[in-house]
Amino acid sequence: MSDAPSLIVDHVTKRFGDFTAVDDLSLQVHRGRVFGLIGPNGAGKTTTIRMIVNITVPDSGGIKLFGQPMSSKLQDRIGYLPEERGLYKKMKVGEQLRFFAELKDVRGKDADERINKWLAKLQLTDWKNKRAKDLSKGMQQKVQFITAVIHDPDLLILDEPFSGLDPVNVELMKQTILEKKAEGKTIILSTHQMEIAEKLCDDVCMINRSHKVLDGKLREIRRSFSRNAVELQIKGGGEVLEDPSLVANIRESGDDLEVLLAPGADAQTLLKRLVASGAVINKFELAEPSLHDIFITKVRES
Amino acid sequence: MRKFFAVIKREYLQRVRTKFFIVATVLGPVMLALFTVVPVYIASIPGGSTRLAVVDQTGKVYERFREALVSSENAENDDDVDANSNSGAAANSNQQDRAQRTSELSKAPFEVEQVTLDGRSLEEVKRQLNERVRRSELDGYVVIPPDVLTAGKAEFYGRNTGDIFTRGTVAERLSRAVREERLTENKIDQRVLREASRRVTLNSTKISASGEEKVTGSGFMVVFSFGMLIYISVLMYGQIVLGAVIEEKETRIAEILFSSMRSFPLMMGKLVGVSLVALTQLGIWGLALLAFAGLGAGVMRGSSMNLPHVPPIMFVYFVLYFLLGYFIYATVYALIGSMVTTTQEGGQLAMPIVLMLVAGFYFVFPIIRSPNSSLAFWASMFPFLAPITMMVRITTETPPAWQIILSLAIGFATVVGLIWLASRIYRVGMLMYGKKATIPEVLRWIRQA
Repeated sequence: MSDAPSLIVDHVTKRFGDFTAVDDLSLQVHRGRVFGLIGPNGAGKTTTIRMIVNITVPDSGGIKLFGQPMSSKLQDRIGYLPEERGLYKKMKVGEQLRFFAELKDVRGKDADERINKWLAKLQLTDWKNKRAKDLSKGMQQKVQFITAVIHDPDLLILDEPFSGLDPVNVELMKQTILEKKAEGKTIILSTHQMEIAEKLCDDVCMINRSHKVLDGKLREIRRSFSRNAVELQIKGGGEVLEDPSLVANIRESGDDLEVLLAPGADAQTLLKRLVASGAVINKFELAEPSLHDIFITKVRES
Repeated sequence: MRKFFAVIKREYLQRVRTKFFIVATVLGPVMLALFTVVPVYIASIPGGSTRLAVVDQTGKVYERFREALVSSENAENDDDVDANSNSGAAANSNQQDRAQRTSELSKAPFEVEQVTLDGRSLEEVKRQLNERVRRSELDGYVVIPPDVLTAGKAEFYGRNTGDIFTRGTVAERLSRAVREERLTENKIDQRVLREASRRVTLNSTKISASGEEKVTGSGFMVVFSFGMLIYISVLMYGQIVLGAVIEEKETRIAEILFSSMRSFPLMMGKLVGVSLVALTQLGIWGLALLAFAGLGAGVMRGSSMNLPHVPPIMFVYFVLYFLLGYFIYATVYALIGSMVTTTQEGGQLAMPIVLMLVAGFYFVFPIIRSPNSSLAFWASMFPFLAPITMMVRITTETPPAWQIILSLAIGFATVVGLIWLASRIYRVGMLMYGKKATIPEVLRWIRQA
């Protein structure tokens, strides 16, 4: 985090006719971290990404990648998995990957080695000589993921990378993303599935209706939105929970109790009192608000 | 530049390796053979002979008529010497060709018998003959009235009066017989007349910069077949260019491509890649044609199908203007492909523009008449007409080199310009797929990209 951000999006605005797709958006993305670009469909995520990968040019504002203004030369250092998935249907997987590698200036033996390595890693080796149309949707998606990483890009942009994948492949994909993160790459993950962003992202930026709603480190955001509540599975301790100076409200959900602390009370005091009362505590967890809840709250606010 | 070649390579290899390409390439020459050799062969199959009875009421004409019908000599040629010089050598030779071919088709032999009245009435004889025609013992009969020499009228009765070849031949042979009889009666020797009315053959020689050149009057045929070749290849491959441009839109690959390269080399690469496929196929066909020309010479010998004689420099012009013609129209398909979302839609839009190529033929005759007029000049500079119009000028009276170079330069610059335009439209249009673009939208895209 001490180094300069690898990607800077600086007050960028993009309009299509009367429609403003992205309005005065600023972002900073750092290497070795997964940056979540989250928001509902149509919020402006894809347009933002398209400007980052230089498919479209912002109407105003600037984008800097690795300290240089965006240009077609920088495109070779970006790997992009678009939300709209597509492969040449009649082309064999191997040839297809070879073509996309060449488009990223990776060629010759080097390209072949990388293709084989990635096919093996994503368990697709047997499919190398099959045509894309004979592959299942999930497999096609993995092939496409390879096209995004074949040239070992410094910036990897994944738009809804998990949609259409079965749980096994979701896990495989997550592992791969985390490996890339460990290699010090910069990763942008765009999704409307908040649960995924919650699990993978270090930083997030929420966009709604072409505006940035919120951004920052995920942990800090969640802490700042903490509702001062505790999730509890407990036997006994009834009189402690009834103390109005500690507990404001209790909600039952299944075996769990969701305990909203009274203003000024803190979770540690509650825990000490419960232990002292001799209750059996199976679960005591600070209830952090989900990204989903935070998002809803922020959208309501604005 | 390397990415540009990667695109070309993909387009080329993917298409050349398809079964469709291989089948079409093999079937092409077979079809060519079917359309060139077979008609000539069919035309040369003799039909059955026509059985004809003649009722000669003059008693003088039958012998000559029979001779005229049975002899295979072509009587048409000494009939009229046409003075056909205004439309130039090309048209002249063309007409000659046609006349020859028609007479060939009508060359069915006749079996002729004479039927005399022998005191019976004409009605009775006709009844008998009708009966024989009905029983298919005869195909028809001719009644020559006594006053045929003066009135010049005779009757033909036949089962198949719709057979214009037979009717025409009968009429023409009968008039020859009657004419000869008239001449004899007037004491004029027909041999003298035949000698006197022999046709004049006009040989044309083109005077060009390199001196006198023998031209067989093939100019029009060359330009026409040239135009057809461009037209057919544009129709065949234009759709493929269109499909290639739309492919990434339909398969949503465009986004990855544009995140890797600029749209101009992509578009250009596609056009060049598909064009190389087209040229590969045409090249194979060209070689096959040369092979056929050697092989078919035997079949065609003696027929009217003469392969036009073409000076070698023509092949260079031919190739250059073919490429121009092909590229300019293929580019139109690419441009339209950049605006639409389905191939069907694109094909409909492209058609009116491709008809410009056909419009080029309207200029052929004015240009043949005056190849250096300002009309000819401008028509051959306008890129969409140049492939046809400049070829006409080159075959009639080769224009100065600078004009040829200029027209080629304008043409290929137009190709590049259109591709540039197409690549801009494509890139912006891609961002809103699934939606049909209106013209104002397209114009806005061009500005935006």
